[in-house]
Amino acid sequence: MVALMPVGNIGRSVPRLEGRDKVMGQAEYTHHLRLPGMLYGKIFRSTLPHALIKSVDTSAAKAVEGVFRVVTIDDIRTVIPHPYYGPAFHDQPVLADGKVRFAGEPVAVVLASDPRVAEYAASLITAEYEELPAVLDEVEAAASDICVHDELKPAATFPDLQHLKGRRGTNVALDYRLVRGDVEAGFAAADHVFEHTFRCQQAMHTPMEPFVSIADVRDGRMTLHTASQGPSFVRIEMARLLGWPENRVRVKVPHLGGGFGGKLYIKLEALVTSLSLLVQRPVKISLTMEEQFFMVTKHACTFTIKSGVNNDGKVVARKCRILWNGGAYADIGPRVTQKAGFTSAGPYDIDNVEIESLAVYTNRPPAGALRGFGAPQAAWAYECHTDLIAEALNFDKIEFRRQNLLKEGRPQASGTPVHDAAFEKVMDQVADRLDWHKPFNRGNGRILRGRGLAVGIKGITSPTTSVAIVNLYGDGSCGLYIGTVDMGQGSDTVMAQIVAEVLGLDAEAVHVIHPDTDVTPYDMGTLGSRSTFHMGTAVRLAAEDVLRKIDDLAKELGLPPNSNLPVSEMLRKKYGMQAGNIIGTGSFIPDYKKPDPETGQTPKATPFWGVGANGAEVEIDTETGEVKIVKLVNVVDAGVAINPRAVRQQVSGAAIMQMGFTMTENMVFRDGQLTNGSLADYKIPSLLDMPEQFVNEYVESRQQSGPFGAKGTGESSTIALSPAIGNAIADAIGVHLTDLPLTQESIFRAIQKKNGTPLPEDDND
Amino acid sequence: MLGFELSEPATLDEAFDLLADGDPGVRPMGGGTALMLMMKAQIFKPERLVSLRNVGGCFDGLRIDADRSHIRIGGMTTFAEIECSPMVLQHLPAVVRTMKTLANIRVRHVASVGGNLAHADPHLDLPPVWMTHAASIRIVSKTGERVIPVEDLFAGYYETTLEGGELIAEVIVPVRPEWTSTYVKVTTRSAHDWPALGIAVSANLQGRRVNDLRLVLSAALDRPTRLVAAENELRGSDLDEAALKRAGEAAVAEVDIHSDSRGSAAYKQHLLRVHLSRAMHSLVGV
Amino acid sequence: MTDARTIRFTLNGAPVSVSVMPHETLIEMLSLRLELKGARESCGQGLCGCCTVYVNGKSVSSCLYLAQLVDGANVVTIEGINDGARLDPVQEAFIEVGAFQCGFCTPGFIMMARELLDVHPNPTDDEIRHYLIGNLCRCSAYPEIVEAVKLAARRRAAGTAPALAQELSA
Ligand SMILES: Cc1cc2nc3c(=O)[nH]c(=O)nc-3n(C[C@H](O)[C@H](O)[C@H](O)COP(=O)(O)OP(=O)(O)OC[C@H]3O[C@@H](n4cnc5c(N)ncnc54)[C@H](O)[C@@H]3O)c2cc1C
Ligand code: FES
Ligand code: FES
Repeated sequence: MVALMPVGNIGRSVPRLEGRDKVMGQAEYTHHLRLPGMLYGKIFRSTLPHALIKSVDTSAAKAVEGVFRVVTIDDIRTVIPHPYYGPAFHDQPVLADGKVRFAGEPVAVVLASDPRVAEYAASLITAEYEELPAVLDEVEAAASDICVHDELKPAATFPDLQHLKGRRGTNVALDYRLVRGDVEAGFAAADHVFEHTFRCQQAMHTPMEPFVSIADVRDGRMTLHTASQGPSFVRIEMARLLGWPENRVRVKVPHLGGGFGGKLYIKLEALVTSLSLLVQRPVKISLTMEEQFFMVTKHACTFTIKSGVNNDGKVVARKCRILWNGGAYADIGPRVTQKAGFTSAGPYDIDNVEIESLAVYTNRPPAGALRGFGAPQAAWAYECHTDLIAEALNFDKIEFRRQNLLKEGRPQASGTPVHDAAFEKVMDQVADRLDWHKPFNRGNGRILRGRGLAVGIKGITSPTTSVAIVNLYGDGSCGLYIGTVDMGQGSDTVMAQIVAEVLGLDAEAVHVIHPDTDVTPYDMGTLGSRSTFHMGTAVRLAAEDVLRKIDDLAKELGLPPNSNLPVSEMLRKKYGMQAGNIIGTGSFIPDYKKPDPETGQTPKATPFWGVGANGAEVEIDTETGEVKIVKLVNVVDAGVAINPRAVRQQVSGAAIMQMGFTMTENMVFRDGQLTNGSLADYKIPSLLDMPEQFVNEYVESRQQSGPFGAKGTGESSTIALSPAIGNAIADAIGVHLTDLPLTQESIFRAIQKKNGTPLPEDDND
Repeated sequence: MLGFELSEPATLDEAFDLLADGDPGVRPMGGGTALMLMMKAQIFKPERLVSLRNVGGCFDGLRIDADRSHIRIGGMTTFAEIECSPMVLQHLPAVVRTMKTLANIRVRHVASVGGNLAHADPHLDLPPVWMTHAASIRIVSKTGERVIPVEDLFAGYYETTLEGGELIAEVIVPVRPEWTSTYVKVTTRSAHDWPALGIAVSANLQGRRVNDLRLVLSAALDRPTRLVAAENELRGSDLDEAALKRAGEAAVAEVDIHSDSRGSAAYKQHLLRVHLSRAMHSLVGV
Repeated sequence: MTDARTIRFTLNGAPVSVSVMPHETLIEMLSLRLELKGARESCGQGLCGCCTVYVNGKSVSSCLYLAQLVDGANVVTIEGINDGARLDPVQEAFIEVGAFQCGFCTPGFIMMARELLDVHPNPTDDEIRHYLIGNLCRCSAYPEIVEAVKLAARRRAAGTAPALAQELSA
């Protein structure tokens, strides 16, 4: 056995392996890739939110010099007879098929070798529609006669959706339910009952590298180069669409210029695949920043939460009803509905819980996964609600939480016992960084100050699989083959650290091979904070497999125990020259028990818990409603931080992103049309929005089941950030806002209303 | 954005010839920043762009008249040149301060004073500042030239009183040492954004007494607009709370503010009152 | 002319001539015709800075700049700010501090940060924030970016790493 020398790769802030390439502008992104003979596709989009397509006139576009072809769904059907896709429902057509379901939906594509020609020609296409009434709001859509889809078409891959198959006359795409104890009895017996309704707006991922995919179909094989977080899923779904075996579809992913959950499942891949199949040439589609708003978004939702609380501060019953605005196509929305649903009662130990979480179709751009998978929307409701209760009953906000927080080993609402979840620790650390127990200057007169905190919980998508290959080459150097996509979170570096730690190498010496489904093994996807835990474990197992094989080789070569002969020498002995490999494999799928379909109860709902707390100190100009975030504190439970700097960057980056979703970002619609779909009007955080004081930390903890004690952390600081700010604003002005984003105007209106001088409602718009 | 002609005439006469026909597809180009946005959005499909960057003469650079009464800024002068000019800093400090939050330095390296004015987007930050500085512009054409106050340039939402073939040659700003000015870019959606309201104020003060003043509101209206009634409330009076309150009410009453994505009408009216008053206070250094 | 025109200019210190159409933007020419990868189009509206290059020593958004207008100019991209052997101090500082995640915005930030340090050799936080307001980072590496700029400023001041390509961009 090779001696296991701990070389200090774990807990070391190894700089990103690809750092030099990135600062030199040389890192590979799909954005730059061009193939010989490649055509560019530009999309013609619908202008109406809901309409039947009477005709599409492509003649003017076809007449433009340099246009190779103009394609509609009829052309697509000649190569893919049933051109519908989606991870949960096969509801999304490759191009609009007789009907458009949101304004901005792709209707036709122009192909040309000059992208400018394609763009110009696409602007000459016209369509005639028969307009249908549209539903945009999730509450309205849940009960409306206007149906976005005639019939529900669940994908076979999700057994828990099969009962929805063929259902008609509804926009509800998933009705997730969880029942624990008897909530009505709980309310009846409680000393107090509180009920509030909260709303979150639709928002967008806005990766700086806009969506881009290239398909190259020839001779019955296809290579897809795509900015995707889930190459394995892309291969499976494309193989299904094409009716081909997986081994004829190759998916390659270099670096990603940001993903945040948007670049998951099928985005442009089905379209470029169909186009390339049709014209037998490589086809590239790159969206513009503006077009990204029509690709995938973050769910808007309406959440009504009701709690029974006793005089001693114990929460005894909680009922949650959440309607998720899924937009026109389900994408992964049903999973968001379910996963965010099951933790929507918060990180609290409550005996009687009832949760209803509904995925609702509307005539808006589709919604999918976005950093937090619905958990931040749920926390916006339950943590503002927590403060409202504490205020009403005059409890200290920290002690009230402490009394109700889930403790080690206690069952969460799903019945799954909570292990390795440092709720109290993160809360106390936030309180400490806010100097919560010291006197606080609340301001007076025009400027009022307030502070707030909140604690969040998130379950992790389960069960999911990761497979890794570690390959030692003839000279003993190491290659790591994984399907995890480094989209900026630093997974290449962290995975290299894990291999290096097991094999006694330096992380910097490990070469990470980027996803290429012909080369790298299966991984469910880079999503939901799962990679460090799942792929990290698979990588550890693969590296340990290598150690075993080295050991076997040593025995085979008759080496004395502990000979410590370098691997290169051993291979040379075996093959007589520098040759051969030592290949270790590892695969990991965590324990999971399917929840009871009626009650949602299961002993193992999640492989680990996402845990984070946030705190904010704000200053409000009561004359204008202007708000300044003076201090923002984010503390997460990361288990053991394999790369402390990478963890802090995730905590900080995720927090700023969520700050955008809290304060400024909002997709605004008028008559079903998006009115602010560009960075000029959809405001993501900039350097000027940074809080004056910005604290990002993680607590000492350990995920027993994780690789070297680690767990995922890419989302933990997003969960409870919005309510921390919302609670701080309420602390300052004495009113709780219920709707995100927390705009200056909404704050000012709340102040005026409280003062009995409400600002008139909108008059002329 | 296809199939157009890009010409770079070396003289003004050549430029006039290239612009002559007054065709809407033929336009002069300054820095091109606004044109490029419109072309990319396919709002404007050009046939010919006539870049003014080589015409030289009074279009370029910054000068002060021999009697030091006026500063003349060529129509092709970039924002960055203005921002870095010690002469502008000395005589027109409010203009330099306005630059700090105007677009970003890359745009300011390229955007021209003339293009900025001719663009006539009501959200632009500089036009109201020129107006409170009582600036005028010299307009040249094949047939002659005319000088008009900046406020007479704007005819409506993205509309000017320029005739086809007319070019903005220079902005002429009087040097008024006894006046102080400021511009407040009121943003409501995020720190760096287009303004919900632009409030430019210039006043000749004696202590708290307002000898004379100019107030201009932009962004919330279809064009930058003098707040004449509000000016009248303040002209000749002392800057006290009562006067400022009257001025705020007068301002709200004299213009028709509409709701948009940056705020409801009622909210923007309220902001006008608050920020007008704060801007005036800032002039006296309170 | 509505047809392609051959323009000549200096790109990262070397003369080049390229045939371009009037409608082509500088970023299109750099990435499609000259196959440079460092400057890249993201917002396409001058707001994000991903496409930043220097034209005659000044930063511009190459997504809003017509390619033909660099005829005769001196153009420098991120590929031209170091001599290949040694990184620019700003690049070094970005690596040391970890001022990026996905790296898509990084060349743009580095180009702007270099110019910022030419203008403000010892910048305050406020000067940094305002100078870089036209650069967006969705991974939100902002705190580290500010740190990296300050580190690079200290390095430049100490003269530990001379700004190599300053002559190029001047
Ligand atoms: C990213 C970005 C952010 C911005 N943010 C702000 C901001 O915060 N505040 C703000 O105020 N502005 C902002 N702007 C707008 C900017 O100020 C204008 O785009 C710029 O001033 C226009 O000047 P230009 O020289 O580029 O004009 P051009 O695009 O060259 O021309 C604009 C118009 O003027 C005409 N024209 C040009 N020159 C002349 C002339 N000499 N005589 C007659 N007509 C002429 C053109 O034909 C065209 O119609 C922003 C722009 C961008 C791209
Ligand atoms: S792409 Fe040019 S500034 Fe964003
Ligand atoms: S590092 Fe990803 S956008 Fe800046």
